[in-house]
Amino acid sequence: MAQQNNQDTAVVKKNIVEEFMVGCRKGFYIGVEQIAPAMVLGFVIIQFLQITGLLDILGKLVGPVMAIFGLPGEAIVALIAAFFAKTAGAAAAATLFTNGVIDAAQATILLPATITMGTLVGHYVRIVVVSDTNKKWHPLLLAIPIIDAAIVMLLTRLVLVFMG
Amino acid sequence: MSEKEKKVEQKISWKGWVALIILVIAFSGVLQKNPGPLAALDFANLNGQFGTIYENINFKGAGGVGAREGFAFTLTLIPTVMLALGFINVAESLGALKAAEKLFRPLLKPLLGIPGIAGLAFVSTFTSSDVGAVMTKDLVEKGEITDDERTIFVSYQYAASAVITNTFTCGAPLLPMALLPVGIIIVLEMIVKILGANIVRFILNSKAKKNRLGGKEYGTAK
Repeated sequence: MAQQNNQDTAVVKKNIVEEFMVGCRKGFYIGVEQIAPAMVLGFVIIQFLQITGLLDILGKLVGPVMAIFGLPGEAIVALIAAFFAKTAGAAAAATLFTNGVIDAAQATILLPATITMGTLVGHYVRIVVVSDTNKKWHPLLLAIPIIDAAIVMLLTRLVLVFMG
Repeated sequence: MSEKEKKVEQKISWKGWVALIILVIAFSGVLQKNPGPLAALDFANLNGQFGTIYENINFKGAGGVGAREGFAFTLTLIPTVMLALGFINVAESLGALKAAEKLFRPLLKPLLGIPGIAGLAFVSTFTSSDVGAVMTKDLVEKGEITDDERTIFVSYQYAASAVITNTFTCGAPLLPMALLPVGIIIVLEMIVKILGANIVRFILNSKAKKNRLGGKEYGTAK
């Protein structure tokens, strides 16, 4: 996107209205092609875990760890889903919210976390491998987004407390 | 001055600055509760509300579960993503990224320990995962940044990747219930991205120092 704009002087540019509509169209297709499948996946995973009772068991198991971030144990599902795809993680968290498992503040804490540590495998290829980063540091690079996610949950919790 | 550097030194039009400022204001939420007409600059206000069909319940209804609820929920998110990407696209076309580059260029060294030449790649990572990664590889191959600087830079890019776009698109399911404006969420993500990169920076620097003390040549090349 950015480089195209670099040679904008000579090229006939789209006007603002056209640019806006191009962006909107992109947003629509992202919604249909990326968000909708991830939402269906996220909501079905939670539904499955809830009907089988696995959600309760999982929640109790990791409850003490998640409590550090001000979250119930069940919230781990959102983070696990995020690991595979950011949208699925956010969708799982949204389901937990609509089911009353987490409140709005806890959903807010999960939002930056699912984005920060999300799609770890896909982006490993698209960013770490494509940029040809020194292999020696790949394990460290894989750990950083997860560390970042843990910090951002604490940070968001702090901001929420601060803002009442 | 390399060719790339000359390219980014080209002047930024006032439109770029105005677009950047409006974008930051719109997503920050500062004007959301403004009683006057300035509230029209706020993203959430322009995004508006769905009509209700019963009490406070919109067309999505209440109490849905499973795949059907996931789909119905998606329908409620699409307008938000459309509007956000519409705005971002306009701002980009007006040169907001170039203006942002000018702002971030001098900050790269203190924030991440990487040279200002990486500025264009840095601002590209706001809206695209792939462009930044390709540009980073390019920077190393041209000898503009070292291998260690690349590792630090990539550790920044990797977390959240295209931070602005991803927060609006991938984070869309959580935006309706978030208690903080989306701009604040993006700032928080940026802060931890920089923190995380500095963990890497610290590890790499101490390792380099140890190697130097040991009299060993520390490879900055590949």
